[in-house]
Amino acid sequence: MKIIAAKKILRANEELAGKNRAQFNEKGVLVVNLVGSPGCGKTTFLEALVARLDGRAAPAVIEGDLASTIDAQRIEKLGVPVVQINTEGACHLDATMVAAACDALDLNRVDLLVIENVGNLVCTAGFDLGEHLRIVILSTSEGDDKVAKYPTIFQKSDALLVTKTDLVPYGDFSIDRVTADMKRLAPGARLFQLSARTGEGVQPVADWLLGKCRRREGRLGG
Amino acid sequence: MHEFSIVESLIEQVQQEVTRSGHDGRVVRLDISVGRLSGVNVDSIRFAFELLAPDTLLADADLQIAEPKAVCRCKACEAKTKIDELVVVCPVCGSGEITLEGGQDLLLDSIELKD
Repeated sequence: MKIIAAKKILRANEELAGKNRAQFNEKGVLVVNLVGSPGCGKTTFLEALVARLDGRAAPAVIEGDLASTIDAQRIEKLGVPVVQINTEGACHLDATMVAAACDALDLNRVDLLVIENVGNLVCTAGFDLGEHLRIVILSTSEGDDKVAKYPTIFQKSDALLVTKTDLVPYGDFSIDRVTADMKRLAPGARLFQLSARTGEGVQPVADWLLGKCRRREGRLGG
Repeated sequence: MHEFSIVESLIEQVQQEVTRSGHDGRVVRLDISVGRLSGVNVDSIRFAFELLAPDTLLADADLQIAEPKAVCRCKACEAKTKIDELVVVCPVCGSGEITLEGGQDLLLDSIELKD
């Protein structure tokens, strides 16, 4: 007895991601899946971003880490609603975890929800969380060859943020190489260069996201 | 090791398919496809399957994994090349004007039950 299934294996995750997305659309929340290596500056970027939203959109954050509430505490200090997910070993967030975390947030009061994924350039590529935008961060200290070496995550991203540009003088990072690799892999993706530490280049990302928020709902939070 | 959650999801899905078919019985053979560009490691899938299948209806299942390649179509030289890994330029002429087709999916193809 043979059953021909011919179905996607992660269908369960995709279905739930679809439900998450429908809920986000209904509430008018723009949702970003923020991915990148451990230590690339995801949380530091978020801190810099929140400061530049200027009350033009109400943010909330879901933090994904294997353990600890270190990141959630940093976000909480900014007065931003935050939920910490501890994956206890899992290398990525999935749609189920995000659905559960959203239950702990009042999405009616949120315009921009950023889901900071587990620091990982590989596994996070395979799991749709229900986001509208996937943004990948690459810090200059990681090296300019990472787009070519971990192509899947970059290919599937809507924007690349090159962070820690203040460290460029101390290394041999070539933005040209990254730009060329991104152009080939993800020609439609936006590319931003910034230093969350100095604040340089963060505002254009904030403005881009704010523009997307407004386009989604025509509603200004605060 | 996202292969673990993929295999967990796979086993759940097989259980659902078998229940829906209205047949009882254990699975003797399971066919899946792991596209070469899916970013999923086949050895890790096998390892996770060995650990997770016992105590399920897949305990005795023979896991068969197909690894379909992707096709790179080049606009510049019109070559169609089968590829094993992600490329950013045409392997034939080096042009960046390419589109990649297939090789991305993880599929549950078929389930064979003991008669």
